[in-house]
Amino acid sequence: MNPGPRTLRLDGLRKSYRVGEASVEALKGVSLDVCRGEMVALTGPSGSGKSTLLNLCGLIDAPDAGNRELCGTAINGLDETRLTGLRREKVGFIFQGFNLVPVMTVFDNVEYPLMLLGVPPAQRREQVATALQRVGLEALARRLPDALSGGQRQRVAIARALIKSPALVIADEPTANLDSTTARQIVDLLHELAHERNASVVVATHDERMSSHCDRVLHLIDGELQ
Amino acid sequence: MKWLIFAWKNVMRNRRRSLTAMLITALGTAAVLGSGGFALFTYQSLEEMTARDTGHVVVAHARGFDGDEDVPLQHGLADSTALAAKFAALPGVRAVAPRMQFSGLISNGDKSAVFVGNGVVPDIDFRLRGPQMNFIAGQAPAGNAPQPEVVIGNELAHLMKARVGSSLTLLSTTTEGNLNAVDVLVSGIASVGVPEIDKRLVLADLVSVQKLLLSDKVGTLSIYLKATADTELVAARVREMQSGLAVKTWRDLAVFYQAVRELYNRIFGILGAIMIVIVLFAMSNTLGMAVVERTREIGTLRAIGTLPAEIVRNFVLEGMVIGGAGALLGMVLAGTATVFLLFAGIEMPPPPGRSAGYPLLLSFSPPLYGAVAVVVIVLAACAAWLVSARAARKPVTEALAHV
Repeated sequence: MNPGPRTLRLDGLRKSYRVGEASVEALKGVSLDVCRGEMVALTGPSGSGKSTLLNLCGLIDAPDAGNRELCGTAINGLDETRLTGLRREKVGFIFQGFNLVPVMTVFDNVEYPLMLLGVPPAQRREQVATALQRVGLEALARRLPDALSGGQRQRVAIARALIKSPALVIADEPTANLDSTTARQIVDLLHELAHERNASVVVATHDERMSSHCDRVLHLIDGELQ
Repeated sequence: MKWLIFAWKNVMRNRRRSLTAMLITALGTAAVLGSGGFALFTYQSLEEMTARDTGHVVVAHARGFDGDEDVPLQHGLADSTALAAKFAALPGVRAVAPRMQFSGLISNGDKSAVFVGNGVVPDIDFRLRGPQMNFIAGQAPAGNAPQPEVVIGNELAHLMKARVGSSLTLLSTTTEGNLNAVDVLVSGIASVGVPEIDKRLVLADLVSVQKLLLSDKVGTLSIYLKATADTELVAARVREMQSGLAVKTWRDLAVFYQAVRELYNRIFGILGAIMIVIVLFAMSNTLGMAVVERTREIGTLRAIGTLPAEIVRNFVLEGMVIGGAGALLGMVLAGTATVFLLFAGIEMPPPPGRSAGYPLLLSFSPPLYGAVAVVVIVLAACAAWLVSARAARKPVTEALAHV
């Protein structure tokens, strides 16, 4: 695969946490480039810093040191409003626990990011219908998340993450709570849709089936990329 | 609209809790509207009572309100007929009632008592006083009766052992400082509802009183209006017309009305403040719990690009939905109570210093209902803002890790 333009650039990221009196260094100068359309798997044992790195990639946490760039925009020094604006436009999230809003229907959950972007209602309806059709849930559009299976919920989460055609998708153990057949379907779907939309995907996973679909697999051990 | 629908759905998430907050808000709203309605009814009743008693605008000699006269009617109004005709021609004026206050002794031959009387034009005065003057027996004095007639207070009648048709003697000081007396017939026995006044009350035909006091002056001219709201306007017009005279409105003369209004404003003001605190607590509690329960969801929404202000807005909308529904229910409750009391005929006991009770009624005031609803909704919005602002600013990773 020919690497496209760079979506994400991480340079010498450091992050430490205080645990009681002690300071634990979660990331020790991580540098990483993710190109457009590239799917990168982040693997490593628990406590290796995967989630921390994922949070920094998704702009929901700030490093102690190092630089980040998303689609050519330097992240350091941006205020919370600008960061939120960047996430709104350019980053999609898929969580291990699906994190759908329980009072919103499947349709509303997928529509939400478009509402934030101020997309007109008619256009939203059309886009959501297409997205739900793409993940095979068009018949369940009016259901609430509680009425769906785990696999169906994760499909909704994928549709929600990709509806706005983000430059970057952050997926945290997206198959962890699913049985193997469903997990397989989710892996295929995420892979297919991300490539279709030319989105860069950074996925933290322990799942071999997931990482085998990725363009690159990075091992993180004790806060360092191997 | 979509945000409002989400807010409604979130409110319905924990129905019992939202319903409790809604009911507390509704009861608070109903309590404020009920007490406010009662206060308004009291103000309106007192306003009418005072205006019927004194007239809306009272005109007197420049020093007529001083109460500092060497002899009766020293500061009376001369040529009152012409003045009354001028005032009666003003727009909005219903009638002008000349009055003359006098005092002295009343006697039945065996026994005397002090009286405080008013010389009035019976045809005008008793019509304008309306229910303010409660006739227990008899009727208003006839202006053209061969012997002067009076209406006396029921307490005074009891004291004088007088009945309708009894003959009494009024003894008073003339404008020249001499004593004069006149025999009168009791045409009616009445009560104004205040025992202290009923014990001294004498209302006599103005012409007879003028004869008794040897004067053609009157004490005051009471101007009655078609609408109380025109009081200041007419008073200003009268001042313009007669700059040499003293002009007071019923409000200036209504010491009791002002005192009651001040007292009620304080009592119901405190009640309103308590209700505000209760509503604020109920809303804060309900929404505070919702915020804590939904911290993880807040983190998710923040991660996918929702601004803290938008999160707060969503909670504020939820607060407004609960507050709005509670206010609406409270208004329905207060409205139902208002209608119920209209037909229930419940009487309040007589206030201190009075002999008659009054009906327990609530005034329905659209501005009051509107203002209370707005206050309740704004309070709910403030409570929602208070409890959600901090959670919305929590670091996203922290919110997502919330269990």
